Amino acid sequence: MWNGLLDIVNKRQIPLSDKSEKNTETSVENRFISCIFCVFRFRPAVVSSCIRELVREQLGGESYDSERSAETAQTLSKRITDRLKELGLDRYKLVVQVVIGEQRGEGVQMASRCFWDADTDSCAKDVYMNDSLFCVAAVFGIYHY
Amino acid sequence: MEDYQTGEETAFVVDEVSTIVKEAVEGAIGENSYQQSRVKQWTNNVVEQCLSQLNKLGKPFKYIVTCIIMQKNGAGLQTACSCFWDNTTDGSCTVRWENKSMYCIVSVFGLAI
Repeated sequence: MWNGLLDIVNKRQIPLSDKSEKNTETSVENRFISCIFCVFRFRPAVVSSCIRELVREQLGGESYDSERSAETAQTLSKRITDRLKELGLDRYKLVVQVVIGEQRGEGVQMASRCFWDADTDSCAKDVYMNDSLFCVAAVFGIYHY
Repeated sequence: MEDYQTGEETAFVVDEVSTIVKEAVEGAIGENSYQQSRVKQWTNNVVEQCLSQLNKLGKPFKYIVTCIIMQKNGAGLQTACSCFWDNTTDGSCTVRWENKSMYCIVSVFGLAI
């Protein structure tokens, strides 16, 4: 469906008004592209709730184990990526990062910065904690033009 | 609009990015001991410095930089990432750095435009 829409945009099959001014054509085309984009946009709230569900499903009741947690982090990041691919974000490249740490009272700080297109790209995150471990899952969606 | 040539000028070069990250971390943290009141500033400085140096490379990439600073007290930490992208053009680099009182893990993801 997305490829079909792109063909239409690329071939500029947009009805022209009687006045046929270039500005009118461009604004109609821009509105058409914006409408398409609204449907397939990376929505942080939707993605965040998706991550939340998967993290709690995987880690609920789990305790930190240095050998198992490495595998759990990898599995979880793969599961999140697979689930997000089903959300219809076909034009998005996805980066999923999962951090699992042991709760021992240590101080931890995590920060991120991105150089991207703020109109199209976004991120979502979720933090989960229990008595034994904490988990931060972050997803970055980058639009591919 | 510039036409980018294919080749090293437009590829994600891990060694180059790794050097940038190490310099940023050394510059921001150095031999400081872990302090709760300063750790937020350190993480921000690391990511901002990395991003500004990456932009100076002038390559057609969008960048994501994440930084984790953890105090050393015997606790364990695992990180994993999964990416849905174009393997031929996109890349990532993770640098692990430590001093006597803390660990710093910086991940850089470069996605071609």
